Amino acid sequence: MAPEDVPAIASMFQRILRKDRHAPSPALTAYLTRLFLDPPNRDPHIASLVHLRADGSVSGFMGVLPMPMVFEGRRLQAAIGGSFMVEGYEDDPYAGARLLRAFQNGPQDLSLTETANDVSTAMWRKLRGVILPDYSLEWLRVIRPAAFTVEMAAKAVGAARLVSPLARPVDALIRRAAPHAGWAHLPATALRGKVLPSADADDETSATLFQRFVQSHRLRPDWPEAELQRMIAESGRKANYGGMVRRQVSSRSGTPVGMFLYYGDRARIGRVIQILALPGQEGAVIDSMLADACERGLVALRGRTQPALLDAMLGRRFAFVHAASSIVHARDQSLIEPFRTGQAFFNGFAGESWSRLLGDRFD
Amino acid sequence: MSASVKSEIRAFIVENFLFGDESQVPADETSLIETDLVDSTGILEMVLFLEERFAISVADAEIVPDNFDSVARLMTFVNGKRAAAGLALAEG
Repeated sequence: MAPEDVPAIASMFQRILRKDRHAPSPALTAYLTRLFLDPPNRDPHIASLVHLRADGSVSGFMGVLPMPMVFEGRRLQAAIGGSFMVEGYEDDPYAGARLLRAFQNGPQDLSLTETANDVSTAMWRKLRGVILPDYSLEWLRVIRPAAFTVEMAAKAVGAARLVSPLARPVDALIRRAAPHAGWAHLPATALRGKVLPSADADDETSATLFQRFVQSHRLRPDWPEAELQRMIAESGRKANYGGMVRRQVSSRSGTPVGMFLYYGDRARIGRVIQILALPGQEGAVIDSMLADACERGLVALRGRTQPALLDAMLGRRFAFVHAASSIVHARDQSLIEPFRTGQAFFNGFAGESWSRLLGDRFD
Repeated sequence: MSASVKSEIRAFIVENFLFGDESQVPADETSLIETDLVDSTGILEMVLFLEERFAISVADAEIVPDNFDSVARLMTFVNGKRAAAGLALAEG
């Protein structure tokens, strides 16, 4: 990928991934330039890839973000592939195959993605990528069922929000009839006063907590401090998802036991990007996050699973669906094992979900 | 090599893209793309098969219709790679 490729990449990104026929804004073009030509954790040997037609024009792209990792004291280089897109399939049906293969044949120890759609997943599978079910599920916790239903309808037809005032009395009725947490609702009173306290975490505190809480994973990111700070700063803007809520969860004695990061506004569905917890404290951190979302009036929370969180989620009435796949590929098969056994920290900040490409506007 | 390159490629296509239906085996010059037999996913399967079965290495830039779009082209490609590597040519 070279600087002169960016306008074509931005145009494809807008049309194919954002499904918007308008020309990409200068802000989007600038962000793509910065993210993929000067990414956090930059490695001179790992670069984003473009596919060129015979005339030299861009017909495909694989955005690549380097991520240093460590596994039992051994330093590794991982590369996260995303924004994978090809246009003109009829002209060159093998372009996507060449791009994905070129990515996997790169110098990195681990090739990763957390955003593979069905077609991309099938291609990864053929190249001996390992699909990771425990990292590939989208979880959902409904808080206010009537308002949640309106929000889901509004995603298809925006005018559905006009009936949202009608949802409030319905949800109030449900709360009165069933004051305890259920599969389809979660009254704020069910958690109020029963969860560990949380407090807003600033960028610096968040960086410290990230570094601390990933330590319990055998295979984990090894972010340089400045690079993690940049990722945290960029994650602050996801206008399409709503306002950012990032809070540190502490024990009764004041010791930090976890952190959660989500985006969302009152009467909307919140998007959780990361939940961090000390081993054994996952449930307490999740409860604290749910209580926070209830108090803020969100209608539901959704996010991506991590194996370390699944056990705690099972008893808390979460629903799970598959939306996109998290996949790992490595020439050294011993590096796959910690992913299979859920001992790798992957998804969220150990992925591409922190970037503004997911959830932000570039007007 | 006991079996010919062509017959092995044909057998692979039947097994993996035709669900074992030998009555649909494409003619040597039939386009695998135009007949929707091999798409962007299937081509990766084909590349892995060629590399492992015929001990050749396929460069990303070689994954093009000129090399992969028919049984005849695949055979020519494999034989060319084997000749370049100093391996014995298989029967056509």
